[in-house]
Amino acid sequence: MIQANIQEASHSYLYTFKVFITIIAICLACFYLLSPILVPIIISLSLYALLTPVTQYLVRKNCNHSLAIVFVLLVLLMLSFIALGYILPRVFDQLLLLQTKLPAIMTLVENYLTLGSKKITDLFGVELDMSEIFISLVSQSTSLGNTIIIGTSDKLISIMISVLLIPFMTYFMLKDFRSLRNNLMNCLPNSSFELGWLIYYRVSSQLQIYTRGVLIQAMIMAIITTIGFSLIGIEIPVLLGVMTGLLNLVPYVGPLISIIIASVVVLGMSPFDPSLLYLGMLVIVTGQIIDNTIVIPAFIANAVDLHPILVILGIIIFGNIFGMVGIILAIPAIAAAKILFTNLYSDIYNSSQRYSLTSSNTHE
Amino acid sequence: MRHFFWSNFFSRTNNEQEKIAEYWLKTPLFKGIPEAQLKHLVKNMHLRQFSSNETIFFQGDQGAGAILILQGSVKVMAKQVELATLVEGDFFGEIALAETDKRTADAIATTQTRLVFFLKQDLEEWVELEPQYGAIFLKNLAQTLALRLLKANNLLAQKK
Repeated sequence: MIQANIQEASHSYLYTFKVFITIIAICLACFYLLSPILVPIIISLSLYALLTPVTQYLVRKNCNHSLAIVFVLLVLLMLSFIALGYILPRVFDQLLLLQTKLPAIMTLVENYLTLGSKKITDLFGVELDMSEIFISLVSQSTSLGNTIIIGTSDKLISIMISVLLIPFMTYFMLKDFRSLRNNLMNCLPNSSFELGWLIYYRVSSQLQIYTRGVLIQAMIMAIITTIGFSLIGIEIPVLLGVMTGLLNLVPYVGPLISIIIASVVVLGMSPFDPSLLYLGMLVIVTGQIIDNTIVIPAFIANAVDLHPILVILGIIIFGNIFGMVGIILAIPAIAAAKILFTNLYSDIYNSSQRYSLTSSNTHE
Repeated sequence: MRHFFWSNFFSRTNNEQEKIAEYWLKTPLFKGIPEAQLKHLVKNMHLRQFSSNETIFFQGDQGAGAILILQGSVKVMAKQVELATLVEGDFFGEIALAETDKRTADAIATTQTRLVFFLKQDLEEWVELEPQYGAIFLKNLAQTLALRLLKANNLLAQKK
């Protein structure tokens, strides 16, 4: 009896795996086909998730559906223009400041590395010139930067088209996504109809909680670190704060990169104050403590229940295949795949148990 | 000609929606809910067609929501025993609106049947948007589930 149960479970597991792989392959094919407009689609979907409750509310208050969508989008566009008009000039000013400081920062880092190399040579008797390694790294990253800038300017038209596409896509998603989704779900056979909706419901609600949580988390982190950097007197606090907030979207690795960036900026400040280096790190670490003890439990806890090793592996693999978009999408994609697999398995196992029970009753 | 086509096309849909709203309003679940609210909800409900003897769900399946019979009839069974036969205007599977874990019985269409699915997802969205009506609905749901539990207990007591 026990052996039969084990056999049944392993058979269900194998069958679930086959169905799961087929669905994932279809999703990846769609992902590949849509890759040229993937970023505007993701942004539009996020805006759809954010704005749907507002438009639904207006519709229930007897406002025309299309009018409600246009109204909400116009308000959003106005707010975005105001915010960009306020933030962009400051960010550009700070970028210019960083550009003027950059040669000084490089020289300073080079000097520190030369000193460090000398100490290592004196202590261990090993010939090591870290400044040379640094110079070659800088030249490589400069050429990479140039390639990115040239590539970006080449793609400027497609970027502009993507930016223009976002409001249109959001409009049509708000207007027709629901009926399109319902029509697609109606294509499911009767036997899978409820299971299909359940999986959709679980994935979408988890992704909604996750997206909302992550955006709030990034915003809070940006505000805390901007205030912290301004209070301790580090230059370009707004730019550094915004960067720290955005880097917080990348788990584990993001905070480390933001510490490195803040340290580089402190190193370039004249006169150089070593205490600022520790205070800068303290600001980021404090932000992380608030993030882990207050923000995550309040907004993201239970949104995704994934093992840290799975998260890190996912980020590396997705990052290698899909680049920056992959790094940001890794966690929600793995969480969605996990829900899909567990629900499929539970349904298939249930069906196989029912089938074996019916056939044993027939034999009796 | 064009006017004739479109007016028929839409009036048929509207008639169907009105019939669904009318049936739901007669159920204890929507007692005290304004008709206008229900009409908005009905727009998001899902119509499915089942052939005679087709299983709607099995005991133990995960359920996504409550089901209203728009046309036809449904047999509810547990462990090969027929518990009830439901007809046009009846509803079943409402436990899934509270907990989507497991269906508690088998449901089989006995004739060509048209069913309307009211999904838990749509209920939750509505409760978030209209909490005052959501509270009334959830109270109605609790009462309906309590009544069904009472009936089941009585049946068990009679058997013993």
